[in-house]
Amino acid sequence: MYAWVWRHLPGPWPVRALIALVMAAAIVAVLMLWGFPWLEETFGLNDVTVG
Amino acid sequence: MYRRARRAQHKRARRGARGPAATTLGIVGELLLTLGILVLLYVVYVLWGTGIQTGRAQDELRERMVDAWSDPVAAGEAPVAAGEAPVDPAETEIGDGYALLRIPALGEDWEWVVVQGVELSDLARGPGHYEDTSDPGELGNVAIAAHRSGHGAPFADLDLVGIGDSVEVETAAGTWTYTIDEPARVIDPTDSWVVDPVPGQSAGTEPTERRITLTTCHPRYGSSQRMYVSGVLTDGVEI
Repeated sequence: MYAWVWRHLPGPWPVRALIALVMAAAIVAVLMLWGFPWLEETFGLNDVTVG
Repeated sequence: MYRRARRAQHKRARRGARGPAATTLGIVGELLLTLGILVLLYVVYVLWGTGIQTGRAQDELRERMVDAWSDPVAAGEAPVAAGEAPVDPAETEIGDGYALLRIPALGEDWEWVVVQGVELSDLARGPGHYEDTSDPGELGNVAIAAHRSGHGAPFADLDLVGIGDSVEVETAAGTWTYTIDEPARVIDPTDSWVVDPVPGQSAGTEPTERRITLTTCHPRYGSSQRMYVSGVLTDGVEI
């Protein structure tokens, strides 16, 4: 999976490493800003109210 | 035996590919690694990422609320224009700053801006006032909920608040001090009676006391149960 991504990235290895880092950062940002808040709200993982 | 294995390895290396079983196992391994990283990231989000959001929201709420309190229009000394902040805490819109909450037992600097409402989106910004419960100083029960882990965890140590500890609530209308007379107790998520006007009595019972009730989750890093502490008004204007 990761090897497949690596093979399909363009350029020499420093460029590939940079692109891979940027992709990883983008995925983490999407999870932190939208993915995890959705998960928390939908499954009530952190409820503190009664009723 | 080793020689045979090595020969097989050479054969595969010559072909430049692994067998189908090894390929499948490789993919499964990568997926498991990815899943592990995602779970760790979620933990980082809950314990740390949410605190950053809440900290920012608190700064913004505090600025807007304190501005509104010192505004002569809001203080009732000038005519109220459309869209101005209200003085009466009861008129606070859901999601807006409602009061300042201080619990000296949790630290000298322990002060949070309470928002109106207890939806998760409200609690993501700070402790929330159950909007249908009393306002500070009124007969009945002022109920406030807050997270115990993540989102700044305002009530992380609520279990350490005991009998005799004070809870201060400040709004544009004044400051009230409540004294805890019921230490932390664990209840079920459905035990909504703790936020009733007279806790333990049917919702229609006329209140004779001025109480405050603070709710959070239990256990600290879960939410299968709830925990609450409760106190009675000991200082401030009775409304």
